[in-house]
Amino acid sequence: MADQAHRRAPTGQAQENPPGNNHAYEELRHLIIAPEQEELADIQERLDDRARRTQDVSSVVAEAIIMRRDQRGDPSLAQALAPTVQETLRESVRRDPHPLADALFPVMGPAIRKSISEALRGMLESFNEALEHSLSARGIKWRLEALRTGKPFAEIVLMHSLLFRVEQVFLIHRHTGLVLNHVVARSVATQDASMVAGMLSAIQQFVRDSFDSKNEESLDSLNVGELEVWIEEGPDAVLAAVIRGHAPADYRLTMKEALEEIQQRYSSALENFKGDATPFLSAEELLSRLLAAQHREPVQAKKPRAALAAIAIILLIIVGWAAYSTYLLWEWRQFLHAVRGQPGIVVISYDREGGRYHIQGFKDPLAPDPNALLTQAGLDPRDAEFDLAPYYSLDDAIVGQRARQLLRPPEGVTLTENHGELRVEGTASPQWISRVRERAPYIAGVTSVDTSHLQNSHLLQLNAPKSAIESAILVFPIGRAELEPGQENAIAQTGKQIRDIVAQAARLDEQTTVELTGHSDTTGIEGTNMLLSQERADAIRAILIRGGVQAANLRTRGVGTTQPLRPEDTEENRRLNRSVTFRITFTPVSSGN
Amino acid sequence: MLQKKICMLGSFSVGKTSLVRRFVESIFSEAYQTSIGVKVDKKVVHVNDEDVTLVLWDIHGEDVYQKIRMSYLRGMSGYLLVIDGTRRQTLDDALALNERVIQEAGKVPAILVFNKSDLVDKWEIDSTRESELVAAGWNIVRTSAKTGDSVENVFSQLAAATLIE
Repeated sequence: MADQAHRRAPTGQAQENPPGNNHAYEELRHLIIAPEQEELADIQERLDDRARRTQDVSSVVAEAIIMRRDQRGDPSLAQALAPTVQETLRESVRRDPHPLADALFPVMGPAIRKSISEALRGMLESFNEALEHSLSARGIKWRLEALRTGKPFAEIVLMHSLLFRVEQVFLIHRHTGLVLNHVVARSVATQDASMVAGMLSAIQQFVRDSFDSKNEESLDSLNVGELEVWIEEGPDAVLAAVIRGHAPADYRLTMKEALEEIQQRYSSALENFKGDATPFLSAEELLSRLLAAQHREPVQAKKPRAALAAIAIILLIIVGWAAYSTYLLWEWRQFLHAVRGQPGIVVISYDREGGRYHIQGFKDPLAPDPNALLTQAGLDPRDAEFDLAPYYSLDDAIVGQRARQLLRPPEGVTLTENHGELRVEGTASPQWISRVRERAPYIAGVTSVDTSHLQNSHLLQLNAPKSAIESAILVFPIGRAELEPGQENAIAQTGKQIRDIVAQAARLDEQTTVELTGHSDTTGIEGTNMLLSQERADAIRAILIRGGVQAANLRTRGVGTTQPLRPEDTEENRRLNRSVTFRITFTPVSSGN
Repeated sequence: MLQKKICMLGSFSVGKTSLVRRFVESIFSEAYQTSIGVKVDKKVVHVNDEDVTLVLWDIHGEDVYQKIRMSYLRGMSGYLLVIDGTRRQTLDDALALNERVIQEAGKVPAILVFNKSDLVDKWEIDSTRESELVAAGWNIVRTSAKTGDSVENVFSQLAAATLIE
């Protein structure tokens, strides 16, 4: 423009001024406009010179971006930069993915963790809800409804528990009825948005035409079963919200405000719309805010912890119950085992009916009461019923007990039962001993009786006189069967002792036998010694009989040198081996019969 | 992706609906046509290396009982004027309708569709008439909804024409 003015001026002048003045005029003109011209030329140069222009822009570009960015609500800077930034990133990754990966590394980890924890939380929440819904009567009803209608259970739950939910929002170009943007709530099935938007516009037109509405008034809601479509019209754009349930009236205001914002923000895009909806992609965030929902019952922010606690409690109850049942069963088995091990009880069968145990079998009268065992095991006697037929047990313990009951052994006597053999040990009166011998074989389960270790208590009082007699030794000279002199008193005393013990034993019904054993030393011939020893015993027998001892109580025998009293190493020992000694045995008078 | 509003116009029973039935995506019942006079369908065509979504407003054929609601034509990028080649009257009606369409919606790309090309021996429109129409500036395509002849072609041609606009 400046250039043109510059060129045009002289031609105009040339026509009007004479040539003589030309030089002066040029000079004047130069004086007046030269500085401006220089400036203009400088500006021109700056504009033409690409390098300088670049330099100029570079000095303000950052501030310009900041200034533009600070104009809130204007997305055009982001829109302008987005493709370039995307392309830059793509190119950077294509060349070498490492720098970008390195740069992203610190944010990737937390982002992934957050996303995983969100997903887990969502899962727990839905599990929570499912738990709640499946455990109630209402839940069962809904489940039946889901079965009947073939819809997913979650959808049924949502349908019933929602007061309202905005499922879809359409942004429609009013003039053409074409869809500019369309947002959908999570897990809502939709039809093709372009057709739906078209049909909505058609219906709008239809209503407007049919009912001859004035002032461009139009349909602002449609009802279809549980769905409502709320429509809000602006000069160039239409907002349609598909709502399940009944939205509050103030939602209309929210829609109006959103539409106004859209009208304002996209006014030129709406006006120049030729079928390309790309500029309206950025309205998505605004539209998504319209996807509101309100639940019938305020859905408390249920903490997953609540679900965990519920699960934990249920598990605890199950585990506890299982453990308790197992314990009861174990206790019962222990008891059964104890009963089976109990002598005198035979369990044939058992079963459980109505929580009570029935036990069939046999029981010896002497066996312990099973109810007592039940109590001992910690079980309730009411929990069990016994049907035990009486029988005689041949178990050792029971047979022993039976024998004790029948024989009533005195103190100091033990009865031991071993496979049918009853062994009686200890000291008892001869009467009791004879009763044992008589009765024991008749006791059920006893096949033989061993009384060899049973001692007659009466004989105990004869022990002292018996050992006195048995300690006496009467000695003889070498080769002779007459007592050495000086033993007259000794023999007389022994004789008296024998008479006494015989008499005493007779009172206790015991027959006394005194055995006189004659010994000899090794002097002389063995044959002679044998005879000699017999003669010595006989000699004493004769003296005793003379002294008043009954011959029936005496027996003699000679053992020669075969049973020396002492080793023959001294004269005194040799003398003691030339002797007669006494041994006393008792036999019960009755057994002798 | 580009979207274009396209109207389908023509007399009753010229086969508009048959034309779209086999070749487009549809979610609405044909009952809408008799009740509100239009049914919206969709057809995606590939033109000049890009997909163009044609939102088809299949407008009910005009008869003595129902006039076309001109407001349905608002914002359209083009239209198909469909006639039945075996009934000359449908062509005359269509041309009359076309005058009103231009008055209402202005001049936009249009194709005159001679449908029922499979019944060409029963045609009531001779080639002289056809030449006159071409001379008058009409783009004519013969189609058969029955055999599918040129149906795709009609949609692509119209889409291409709207892109030039």
